[in-house]
Amino acid sequence: MAQSRRRVEHEPAFVLHSYPYKETSLIIEAFSRRQGRTALLAKGARRPRSAMRGVLHAFQPLRLSWTGSGELNTLVGAEWEGGMPFLRGFGLMCGFYVNELILRLLPRDDAHEALFDAYAGSLARLGRGEPTAGVLRGFEKRLLAELGYAMLLDRDAASGAPIDPAMHYLYDPERGPLPVNGGAGGEMVVRGSTLLDLDRDEFASAETLHQSRGLMRALIGQRLHGQTLHTRSVLLELQDL
Amino acid sequence: MTKEPVPTAQGLERLVEALRVLPGVGPKSAQRMAYQLLQRDRAGADQLAVSLRHALDTVRHCAKCNNFTEGELCSLCESSRRDSTLLCIVETPADLAMVEQTSSYSGMYFVLMGRLSPLDGVGPRDIGLDRLLARATDGEVQEVILATNFTNEGEATAHYIAEMLRSRGIRVSRIARGVPLGGELEYVDAGTLSQALMERRAL
Repeated sequence: MAQSRRRVEHEPAFVLHSYPYKETSLIIEAFSRRQGRTALLAKGARRPRSAMRGVLHAFQPLRLSWTGSGELNTLVGAEWEGGMPFLRGFGLMCGFYVNELILRLLPRDDAHEALFDAYAGSLARLGRGEPTAGVLRGFEKRLLAELGYAMLLDRDAASGAPIDPAMHYLYDPERGPLPVNGGAGGEMVVRGSTLLDLDRDEFASAETLHQSRGLMRALIGQRLHGQTLHTRSVLLELQDL
Repeated sequence: MTKEPVPTAQGLERLVEALRVLPGVGPKSAQRMAYQLLQRDRAGADQLAVSLRHALDTVRHCAKCNNFTEGELCSLCESSRRDSTLLCIVETPADLAMVEQTSSYSGMYFVLMGRLSPLDGVGPRDIGLDRLLARATDGEVQEVILATNFTNEGEATAHYIAEMLRSRGIRVSRIARGVPLGGELEYVDAGTLSQALMERRAL
């Protein structure tokens, strides 16, 4: 059934990625506050004098207007919202990683306002040069929750008892932390203190940083069903330089 | 009643298919091009075939700057009038041509033939950073000028090249950005202007 053409005006949005399309156009993968992830055709955006050229920049808050209701909508306006520091260096690579997570995991046309706000907040923190690990773990946790896989971090999933910081737990992706003896057993086995730190977004301890990184990688890996992230393999290659 | 198939020649079909490797050329345009070549301009088609074959056989990458050339080295790298202590890094041959047009640079070049694009899986191996490293550390080069694009991908590329070279004691600089020459602030886009403000310099 044909839907009527919709017009979205001045919607807060970010460009996640863009691809060249035909001679002079771009296809924009955008993440907007109230319409979620959406694909937009930016006609003529690659022309040398296009007014959109300097605006359709990833990691910067924009106001986008578009029409259409199908798979690919038509971008009709893009305004610069500003106020966000530009990402640079390793922070920029982290930005690419966060964008890839959204592109791979968030279904299209589903509004995720809280995640949008968390995304904007994470970019601002990366732009200010805050330690990247804390920013990334916080965003990953938020993303999993928005996808319907909120983590249980303060209670033992079997008994409901509060997490003991000194004990070890195996994190069962379906249920949550289950107490185990000893620390061996891969990325899914972490100390109670790591779970509690992750719950409170505190990443001061080196052990928490290390274990939460492995745990989140394993949990996100499950949601990706074995696909590897491009940004991660490029980063590994860059480390070898 | 079943329709009879439209008669066609296998050579024509193969040509249409082959033309689709060109960027922005879909089945319709490819068919139009094929008809043009075979029907209206057979001499032009012949020339196209010969030059394509010739280019494929003779054009390769310059051993020093990675740009297209027919010899081992391109004319620019062989020239004795260039300043061999400066190395300017650009993404594409078109970028090199643009820098040359300014007549304000007389050093050498390295053409990456691309940029890092983490979201597309384009990594350092795809843009020959190992060859760049060898070229930049050959003892002649004293300063590397990063002239990659001011896109997020170009910035990431510049950042990693800078890290890689700085750790080996080579001086690295980045071309400046901001309001274009003759640009009136009223008409400059907000992103450019905000960068120009952030990267302002003392007078």
